[in-house]
Amino acid sequence: MSLVEVERGKDTFEVTMDFSDVMADRGEIETTLGYKSGEIPVHFSGMIDETLLQLPIRCEIKGGYRLLDISLPGGRSDGVIIGSRLFRTGPIVMTQLGKASKGALFVCTLGPLMEIWARRLLKSNDPALGYIADVAASVTVEAATDRLQAHIAEQMHSRGLKITNRYSPGYCKWSVSEQHLLFSLLPDGFCGVTLSESALMSPIKSVSGVIGVGREVRRRKYICDRCGVKDCTYRAMRAPRSAKKAA
Amino acid sequence: MEVAVRKIGECIERGKVNRTSPYPRDMLGQDGSDELTRQALDSGITAEAILQACNEGMKRIGDKFGRNEVFVPELLMAAKAMNAVMSHLKPYFQTGVVKTKGKFVIGTVAGDLHDIGKNLVAMVVEGNGWEVVDLGVDVKTVKFLEAVNENPDCRVGLSALLTTTMLNMSKTVMGIKSRFPTTPVIVGGAPLTQKVADEMGADGYAPTPQGAVAFLDRGAGR
Repeated sequence: MSLVEVERGKDTFEVTMDFSDVMADRGEIETTLGYKSGEIPVHFSGMIDETLLQLPIRCEIKGGYRLLDISLPGGRSDGVIIGSRLFRTGPIVMTQLGKASKGALFVCTLGPLMEIWARRLLKSNDPALGYIADVAASVTVEAATDRLQAHIAEQMHSRGLKITNRYSPGYCKWSVSEQHLLFSLLPDGFCGVTLSESALMSPIKSVSGVIGVGREVRRRKYICDRCGVKDCTYRAMRAPRSAKKAA
Repeated sequence: MEVAVRKIGECIERGKVNRTSPYPRDMLGQDGSDELTRQALDSGITAEAILQACNEGMKRIGDKFGRNEVFVPELLMAAKAMNAVMSHLKPYFQTGVVKTKGKFVIGTVAGDLHDIGKNLVAMVVEGNGWEVVDLGVDVKTVKFLEAVNENPDCRVGLSALLTTTMLNMSKTVMGIKSRFPTTPVIVGGAPLTQKVADEMGADGYAPTPQGAVAFLDRGAGR
């Protein structure tokens, strides 16, 4: 099934996607839990089965993005200007977005139901199932964001443009506090996602960030080697299979 | 008697909660930590001996976790088995027959809502005989200070998952140390290293729940 895109304002789009659009990969869930392929205990494998049954019922996947002009500020600033606002992204993100002409500020969420279920289990009598549900939700929201990113790539391709990797405040040494700036450029409650005072998203199983768009940009397979944070969640998730153990 | 106590420790290590629990498969239909603890207490085994067996069981599973031989689900099952024991031992703690090793105040620092790692540490530490005061997630420095003020002999554990919330963690460490310089503070979480912990002025860094127990048990910082 293809995604459905609706324009919600100038260069602002909401994308609806069905759970069937998203591949919640069982192997990815097992790997994220720490197990090597085929080595997960049967009991926990059963819990993954139970979670995979719940995911389509409890996920209300929404995504969206807004396209804004992007440029580099003068001087020594480690950041980029998106829609006339200066984002202090730090050098890693700035370098990757440097050749972009547009920035796609995006949000993608599973909605609140999965995390409510997982939290209830964690606090009740089934913490292992709750944890597995939480991990499965994290893997699913990343898969949904992958799908949203692929959709943005298709849309930009039709305009003769390419995209970069996606970057989120809180990672790649980009302060999570800049979430407030990012959300200030999106419609209120965009895709049903709001921010806390501490710049954390609700629902928790949401991803936000920026994707560079332009004729000269390119998407890299793996960029985590540019960052010194060895134990980052993304570093582990994005590592090539052979490097996962070390990450 | 020794066999009964050892079995409780094994149930903790293996995460066997009770007779009806389907986990682990090879212990299907056997008594778990719940029934064995009741039986042990009824037969006159002391609460201290049971607690000691639990501590050893938690240590074994914690060590396996530290060696990547088991993962969070196994640790959570062990904690669940431990909770079953603690429900039987609670009256002994309340009457002072069994004493905890001390108080451990723990929380995820401001700006961070991740609680699974923090909860794991709390469960393992509690399972090793410490009383845990869990402040929750997104905890501001002032709340930690209030907790230390209310529990003057406590140790404090700070958790963070996000790289960028380490700044808040650093501020909280400084805040606690400036007002309560003798209160030991340990930090942990994915983005941390011993070097970062040292730079923050923390007394310890634990990459695993068992590391936190080791820090507390050796009385570090006191």
